[in-house]
Amino acid sequence: MKKQNINSKTVFFQIAIVLMAIIGLSGCEDVIDLKTETGPTQLVVDGWVTNQPGKQTITLSWSSGYFDSNPIQPVLGAKVTVTDNIGNVYNFADSAGNGKYTWGLATDSLGRIGRKYTLRIEYEKEVYTAQNEIKRVPKIDSIAYTNETLPIKPDKDKGQKTGYIVEFYARDFVGAGDTYWIKEVLNGKTNVDKAEKISIAYDAAFSAGAPSDGLIFIQPLRRSITYDSLYQAGSHVGVELHSITNEAFYFLQQVVDQSTNGGIYATPIANIKSNVTNADPNGRKALGYFGASAVSRMETIVDPAKARPEED
Amino acid sequence: MNRLRINHQNISMKSKIQKKWIGLLLSFFSIASFAQTKHTVSGYVKDIANGEGLIGVSVYVREAQTGVVTNPYGFYSLTLPAGTYTVVYSYIGYQKNTKTIELNADQTVSIELADESENLKEVTISTKKDDENVRSIEMSVNKVEMKTIRKMPALLGEVDLIRSIQLLPGVTTVGEGASGFNVRGGDISQNLVLLDEAPVFNSSHLFGFFSVFNPDVVKDVKLFKGGIPAQYGGRISSILDVRMKEGNSKKREINGGIGSIFSRLTYEQPFAAGKGSFIVAARRSYIDILAKPFLNKDLKDSKFNFYDLTAKVNYRLGNKDTFFASGYLGKDVFGGGDFGFGWGNKTLTGRWNHIFSNKLFMNMTAYYSNYDYNLGQNENDKNAKDRFVWNSRIVTKSIKPDFTYYITPNNQLTFGGQYINYDSSPGKATAVSEGEGLNLDLPSRHADESAIYIANEQKLTDKISLQYGIRYSYFRSLGAGIEYSYRDTTAGIRKQPIFPGKEYQSGDVIKTYGNFEPRFAVNIGLNSVSSLKISYNRMSQYLHLLSNTAASSPLDVWTLSSSNIKPELADQVALGWFRNFKDNMYEASVEVYYKKLHNQLDYVVGSDLLLNQFVEGDLLTGRGRAYGAEFYLKKNKGRLTGWVSYTLSKTERQVEGVNNGNWFNARFDKPHNFTTVAIYELNKRLTLSSNFTITSGTPATFPTNGYTWGGYSLGNNYNNARNNNRIPAYHRLDLAATLKARKKLFGIGEGEWVFSIYNVYNRRNAFSVYTRQNEDKPTASEKAQNLLRTQAVRYSVIGSLIPSITYNFKF
Repeated sequence: MKKQNINSKTVFFQIAIVLMAIIGLSGCEDVIDLKTETGPTQLVVDGWVTNQPGKQTITLSWSSGYFDSNPIQPVLGAKVTVTDNIGNVYNFADSAGNGKYTWGLATDSLGRIGRKYTLRIEYEKEVYTAQNEIKRVPKIDSIAYTNETLPIKPDKDKGQKTGYIVEFYARDFVGAGDTYWIKEVLNGKTNVDKAEKISIAYDAAFSAGAPSDGLIFIQPLRRSITYDSLYQAGSHVGVELHSITNEAFYFLQQVVDQSTNGGIYATPIANIKSNVTNADPNGRKALGYFGASAVSRMETIVDPAKARPEED
Repeated sequence: MNRLRINHQNISMKSKIQKKWIGLLLSFFSIASFAQTKHTVSGYVKDIANGEGLIGVSVYVREAQTGVVTNPYGFYSLTLPAGTYTVVYSYIGYQKNTKTIELNADQTVSIELADESENLKEVTISTKKDDENVRSIEMSVNKVEMKTIRKMPALLGEVDLIRSIQLLPGVTTVGEGASGFNVRGGDISQNLVLLDEAPVFNSSHLFGFFSVFNPDVVKDVKLFKGGIPAQYGGRISSILDVRMKEGNSKKREINGGIGSIFSRLTYEQPFAAGKGSFIVAARRSYIDILAKPFLNKDLKDSKFNFYDLTAKVNYRLGNKDTFFASGYLGKDVFGGGDFGFGWGNKTLTGRWNHIFSNKLFMNMTAYYSNYDYNLGQNENDKNAKDRFVWNSRIVTKSIKPDFTYYITPNNQLTFGGQYINYDSSPGKATAVSEGEGLNLDLPSRHADESAIYIANEQKLTDKISLQYGIRYSYFRSLGAGIEYSYRDTTAGIRKQPIFPGKEYQSGDVIKTYGNFEPRFAVNIGLNSVSSLKISYNRMSQYLHLLSNTAASSPLDVWTLSSSNIKPELADQVALGWFRNFKDNMYEASVEVYYKKLHNQLDYVVGSDLLLNQFVEGDLLTGRGRAYGAEFYLKKNKGRLTGWVSYTLSKTERQVEGVNNGNWFNARFDKPHNFTTVAIYELNKRLTLSSNFTITSGTPATFPTNGYTWGGYSLGNNYNNARNNNRIPAYHRLDLAATLKARKKLFGIGEGEWVFSIYNVYNRRNAFSVYTRQNEDKPTASEKAQNLLRTQAVRYSVIGSLIPSITYNFKF
């Protein structure tokens, strides 16, 4: 089975599971009831500013009990601004009253590559801030697709046995330390509904330690936009490549770690470090992340005539 | 000389009382012999069936009420005043042998003992008790006979040394399938696992399910949990000393078996008219061969096997010299499609036993040990457009002379040293993307470790014996290399290196550490069947396993001490009460221990321990403490044998930057740990056995709050706590039956069937409990309502009962 979204540890673990299953040592997961304590609520910041024209959104909400079944509570009545390092101030307003604070001009974008951005949130007597920066992003050179037949028929909702592996080609900039978030685009919209699908790159590979500066993204990353099912003829598919800071890279890595932390090689569960700080060091800490990125995008429609032949 | 004469005169002039005092003093330091003529009887004790030297045989002199035990090569030496003595050689599971020795000159007496089972019905009546566990100074030591290990129920019928060790008091594991074992609050890397004196860095096959020791070649297993003698060093928590068979020196022998996982074959043969013998053993998993016809296309290239090869040869040259060479090669190979993964250990040991006089025994060991792994895509296809290759290795080479000087039965002096050279290549990687490639070699690390030790085991009086010694270890981190220092930051956050690092040339000494490691033990006999023992030891460790996962993975890298990584140290005190019942049919012990661990490693959140040149910036240092009480009752004789063990313990760590700097439970902390092992010999053909284990669940961390970010449901612990919860208790029953075949195999050999069931009552024991985003697709209303979608999951490594059948044969 070709699992595309890999980093060394998860690959290792997935292989382990398959192998254990063969000899009957298959582990099993059961959903169980668990009682946990509940801590005080905290402010959650979820938003990105980008160099794309159109509406930019910063969502503010409250954390709840971990197993709380009530809808998530929005943070209402906050004053939200983003300032860049040359003095522009952008006011974000919650016009719909649902905690989604937006700024937008159809003709212009907020973000510029190379600029630094500061988010400021005032809520009642508390002030929260976060900084970020828009890094350079390479353009996407092409999208290609290859015929593929899976060795076994996939589960019902995992697509068909035959189809196409779609991959994109782009080259990392020379100079170590560029980090990216690769997002699959399906029918014109990004499709990253599960944390385990998050595909991030450090230079052209998975981590700071891998030697990949300036290369074309390595194959597992190129193919990370084909996640758990094959594409079919006529699929409207594409990729978005977001430049992110190293800090955002590690934040996302922790999101993935926390969301895929099963098995015998689980790491100790730890809180994901937010970049939002409370001006009062003794005040409640905030959760979430305020990001900034530049985006490259390319889309295509899968045409069997242009597909590469199946690899052996 | 003059002075001595004066002393003599003095002594003769002094009153009787003074004489008595000085006599006592002299006996205290009775290195020199008295005026009385003394002679030495020495020799080897071997197994009559195959000529294997027997380790730890009690050699007891009835008239002198004293004795010694045989060393790891089966050698013993006793120096006594001239006279006639009755010497009793006894060993658990073997028939006793009594010799009358006319000691009027130095002499060699080698003895062969016969297996007890040869003669099961006969009740051996002994006049003197073979209560070695009560009389010996050793405490916190567990010895499990291979005979017992073979009869215990085993997962998939594969007899497994490490899994058997896990059933002993004071020993735990983080869970099924986890590699290694934890001893008295130490992590798995703090056990020195020795195979014929060479360290084994990864004791597992198939991640952690099976151990690398082929049961057919293991002669003796001993686990030191405390009171560790001065001759051992290098790890702070325990020593697992595994000795390989030497090979049958009497006749050719073939052993083998077909199990669910491995097929095994062992061949032993004497040569040079019994002066030498060798043993060669191989095991291989064969599930991949069986599965092959059922795999199609991509899966056809699946690689899935593990094997090991063990060999040993020995040759006796005259009466004073014996040479041994032994080697181990083990490998796990996995892969599918163009992806491959493998790891393995290699060890090679050469040994020379020399008897200088019948009082001075020397063993000189030289070994080479290598652990490596490789992982990658299209590893062997150098022309592939897309490739990734990654490997890591650690090599150690060592020379180790050990001497035992059998001064008198009451003083046994051991001394020696060790030199170890370390060569570690933490990671080398090559990435090729669309034909363009790059290499990354993490700088290799070099170091050496030297140690010297001296210790004496002394019988002070009939009731009190002592063992005292000291070991000094000295570690040097060596060039070539670049040593970075790291910027201080908030505890718990990655430290950034300060550039430029300091460059060292080959041969430069980067950093040194030296440690005195005192060792002490005392045995106070309370009466003929019980004793009290106390011990203290300090241990140091210069080699550290970087592992931040629940179970250690084969990818974990061993790293050496440096300017940034201080040696790990441990101090342990233990107190024990030992008593035997019913003519040594039962042995019982209660031990309490307290252990302090220094310079323990932990990791920053989101630590990156692989292929990271600046990995030292991701390390945190803290301390640990562990304490507990171990209760142990073992039945050695009769049709029913086995043991019951209960351990009550606590293991904690304190690390700045974790759990707000407060003490937290170590991930292998299991306060209650109860096990029983029972083996019942129903008749000559059928043996039944069972294991039962119940332990506390391992610690876990759960979120107190949930939130959504980017559409993902995430968790957060408001108190930033670690391991403040616990998963449900673990319990399991295993059963096995061993049935000897009635008919001779091909008219000459013996065959037996082993039926076993692991996890008899089909319990899904939790390996871990964790929380995650609900895996189901959200419903439309869930989406509209913006709900937190979370769930708790219990992960079980073994989800059902596992039956198995194994066939073993012997010619």
